[in-house]
Amino acid sequence: MRLRLTLLSALGALALTAGATLAHHSFAMFDRAHLIELEGVVTEFKFVNPHTFIYMAVKQADGSTVTWSLEGQSPSQLARDGWTRNTLKAGDELKMTIAPLYSGAPGGAWAADLITFRDGRQLQVAHSTRGFPESSDVSR
Amino acid sequence: MIDRGQLGSILLAATLALAAGAARADEPSRYPDWGGQWFRTGGIQFDPSKPLGRRQDAPLTPEYQALFDKSLADLAEGGAGLNAHTSCVPHGMPRMMNAIYPMEFVITPQITYVLFEDNLPRRIYTDGRSWLAEVEPSFAGYSIGRWVDEAGDGRYSLLEVETRAMKGPRTFESSGLPLHADNETVVKERIHLAKDQPDILIDEITTIDHALTRPWTVTKSYKRKRDAVWYPNECAEDNHHVVIGKDHYFISADGLLMPSKKDQPPPDLRYFGARK
Repeated sequence: MRLRLTLLSALGALALTAGATLAHHSFAMFDRAHLIELEGVVTEFKFVNPHTFIYMAVKQADGSTVTWSLEGQSPSQLARDGWTRNTLKAGDELKMTIAPLYSGAPGGAWAADLITFRDGRQLQVAHSTRGFPESSDVSR
Repeated sequence: MIDRGQLGSILLAATLALAAGAARADEPSRYPDWGGQWFRTGGIQFDPSKPLGRRQDAPLTPEYQALFDKSLADLAEGGAGLNAHTSCVPHGMPRMMNAIYPMEFVITPQITYVLFEDNLPRRIYTDGRSWLAEVEPSFAGYSIGRWVDEAGDGRYSLLEVETRAMKGPRTFESSGLPLHADNETVVKERIHLAKDQPDILIDEITTIDHALTRPWTVTKSYKRKRDAVWYPNECAEDNHHVVIGKDHYFISADGLLMPSKKDQPPPDLRYFGARK
């Protein structure tokens, strides 16, 4: 597993126009113009309010591990589309395209349609849970 | 002692009372059917006909436009801007009617309750009361409503509401579009079902506020779902967004503060280690 920092502006633009989803807060701290790819192992899936979190251990080039804190849709939104607290679990190996914090710290936002299991399986994604929470689609 | 005759009279009276009650329950309600779960039909912005942020074209005063510009610039760097809800400050009126999550109307003759998954309820008093001389402010404010029988057919179809006594800080939406810090906002609403569309609810909202150069009216609509399942959303449960001073931080997986902006310094720690 490794961290691949890849400029994915085209993918970012796609995510910006993805289906309308929910956000409790501003998600403006997540840089959706410069998406990155992460591969790692889920250490915890937090199906909590106001937003869900995936904690994912990502192996670094020097062999050490960094745990990323990745924020997603609210549990109510995901539950209405069939997700449960067991949809993801510790030990799941994932490939994700995330919107990282502007600061470069190991945090970001995840989108249900930008996750695959490492073995190629896809997650159930309804239209309303595609893309990142929309509150960062602020016209400036 | 109650004799047999008295007992019979009592039983008869009780039976008639029950029958009368049943007859009233069978009568059509004067109040509209707003039951079920109401989902917003558009995005999370205040005016659903325009994009979130600057293109809302809110009629802000120059002073509040400058504050909004500054907030947008902060958002662009990864900050929270004026959006106090980042750290779970309630939405307040009129933002709560953006209905991020679905809402429910419970109508009684005295009060109409508007229930949310992520906000405390609104109470709209319809008992004919007047404004109190002084009201303790709250984020939802103090609302007085009046039912209107528009068709003159004995059934109410329109709820007119006026809300005052709101607490701040409040914004119209998550972009940080501000209301005035004096909290002298007045919100007027006309809530009704759409014509010939019983599963669409309309809320025409006019906001009068000193951050605005004129009253600002937007029209929101909500779509009904009958088989409701509710998911309460308590913001404080596990919110990872922290505002210290004026700076926004993000909580890491191991529970520590992380910067949200590039090159952001740690918070001021001057009070730590003061008793050395």
